[in-house]
Amino acid sequence: MNLALRDIRHDLSRFALTAVGLGLLLTVVLAMTGIYNGIIVDATALPASLQADLWIVQRDTRGPFAELSRLPAELEDRALAVPGVARARSYVAHTIQRELPDGRPLRFTAVGLSWPVDGGESIPLIEGRPLEQAHYEVIVDESLGLQLGERIRLARDMYTVVGVTKGILASAGDAVAFFTRADAQSIQYDQSSEAIRLDRKARTQRIRESWLGNDPEFVRFAETATGLIPAIAPAPVSAVMINVAPGASIEIVKQRLATWKDISVYSQEDQNELILGGIVEKTRKQIGLFRALLVVISTILMSLIIYTMTVDKLHSIALLKLLGAKQTVILGMILQEALLLGAIAYTIAIGVGHYAFERFPRRVILENEHMLMLALLVLAISSIASAIGMKKALAADPNEVLAG
Amino acid sequence: MSERSIAVLARKVSKHYGEGNTYVRALGETDFELMSGEVVALLGPSGSGKSTLLTILGLINEPDGGDLEIGGQVVIRAGEFVGNTNQVRRRELGFVFQRSNLIPFLTAEENVRLVLELDGVGKRIARQRSREMLETLGVGDRGAHYPVELSGGQQQRVAIARALIHEPALVLADEPTASLDKQRGRQVMELFRSAARERGAGVLVVTHDHRSLDLVDRTLEIEDGFLIAGGVALGPEGRSGERSSPTVRP
Ligand SMILES: Nc1ncnc2c1ncn2[C@@H]1O[C@H](COP(=O)(O)OP(=O)(O)O)[C@@H](O)[C@H]1O
Ligand SMILES: [Mg+2]
Repeated sequence: MNLALRDIRHDLSRFALTAVGLGLLLTVVLAMTGIYNGIIVDATALPASLQADLWIVQRDTRGPFAELSRLPAELEDRALAVPGVARARSYVAHTIQRELPDGRPLRFTAVGLSWPVDGGESIPLIEGRPLEQAHYEVIVDESLGLQLGERIRLARDMYTVVGVTKGILASAGDAVAFFTRADAQSIQYDQSSEAIRLDRKARTQRIRESWLGNDPEFVRFAETATGLIPAIAPAPVSAVMINVAPGASIEIVKQRLATWKDISVYSQEDQNELILGGIVEKTRKQIGLFRALLVVISTILMSLIIYTMTVDKLHSIALLKLLGAKQTVILGMILQEALLLGAIAYTIAIGVGHYAFERFPRRVILENEHMLMLALLVLAISSIASAIGMKKALAADPNEVLAG
Repeated sequence: MSERSIAVLARKVSKHYGEGNTYVRALGETDFELMSGEVVALLGPSGSGKSTLLTILGLINEPDGGDLEIGGQVVIRAGEFVGNTNQVRRRELGFVFQRSNLIPFLTAEENVRLVLELDGVGKRIARQRSREMLETLGVGDRGAHYPVELSGGQQQRVAIARALIHEPALVLADEPTASLDKQRGRQVMELFRSAARERGAGVLVVTHDHRSLDLVDRTLEIEDGFLIAGGVALGPEGRSGERSSPTVRP
């Protein structure tokens, strides 16, 4: 006769309610674990998608993700001249918030690719293709809610969605959209006609008032488009991504580049450490702490529940002792109830998580090892909790039954 | 009725509680015996040592000294438990208390069957025997009910069924009818007596209820930890006790 099952059956609704409550608590533990993992994967998804061996950034900055970095655009060409460098691509990024025609906000981080060297071939797409034109094509993250083939107006131009990624986010959690660098910058520097006119006028005025203003040729030049003036540098880039030639050592190329006085060089791992140690460090710690707290709460709660379940049965346990029940029968009953409670709560947590986590706004990543970890945790908690209950059960005095 | 043999034999069992100021001699050196099938009432004022004797015979408390045999098996020697006490409880002992005898999360039938299953009897046979036992005690139709769904009298009948199902040598009962009215109390005692005789169990029943004393074979009185009056034959197979003296009857 299984006493554990009969005890549970006798007050099934109480047991079920307890199991559901514990299950939901474990769901939160699981969610926290998944969110924690998600933060790490999300934070490094963008640099990972670009598959660079080395990152060149402005000297002594921790850019381009953890900190702002500015480099002259021609650094790309300088880097290409270094032995062992097979490919150099510029990286530019900035956050843009616009409105769709229907009024929905459209917020994303625009990343510029070095077209034609890089059309986004390294980016993992779930749909579509990399960029194939110098202009007016974009790869977006699915979290932006745009469909493949959809056309959106940005600045003065219409862009077509040609590729869709999943889970590529910038550090603030915004979806990333990949453009060619020229497009990204034209969106970034988009100004109204009036602003451009006023800008040129101000520039002409400054020239007129300086000693250069004596030369009418200078004044005429100042009135032309910014891009046509050779003295004004093209827009800076945030970083230059380096891929080394097959067979070349990343470490050696890094040392070569590090001798340049105007830049700092990071490997992909350095970059991940900067991101995890900087941007998401506090979030990560906070969620880690919260998760630890939840585990402690679950342990206490479960111990308390199993302890109470045992205390409620002390009279029956004393009776069982009088009837000559073996210790294994009594302890087995307590352990089985604890394990069953744990197992049901765990199943509820996994089940609820399976349906709920997809709907979370940020990514929840759970691997089998995390499920296994939770299972072991529940097993440990159940065992600890039942050990406390067993201690109480062993102390149950048959004399108390006589006392009525 | 099974052949008569000695169900319980106690020699010089004694028990005290506390030390120094709190020292209480609960049971003086006591000799006691009980035949199988015999029903003996234990009378005495509150605090006289009735429960103490019961807990020693029930292997709940160890005495200070003395020997005890149950069903021919030595279970206490020189004040110490010997052998497999748990197994003796499972096979040779039965208990009936004033109330809360039953495990609340088991049905009546399961409460009775549990005793057999704890000792390894197969489920089918155990179930069959439990039903028959409940039938014998007049609660055959209550097998599927939980204890809270039974009346006080029904609960006591189930408890008696449980105490006798495994045909123990000794059944210890502490005021089993105290919570019942006179008529039900007598009914339960009658069933108890006949079922115990049928199964050859010796019964020691603590009672304050002088109204049912005509149903027992013998009465014992205890005062300040000493048995002062031995039994007189009252039942149909009446015999004289060794330390026989007239039973005081109200
Ligand atoms: N656990 C105990 N600790 C101390 N004294 C006890 C204990 N149990 C019983 N006694 C004492 O032993 C004596 C006999 O008690 P008990 O056997 O319970 O008597 P009865 O059951 O006849 O009322 C009483 O004086 C009682 O106070
Ligand atoms: Mg008492």
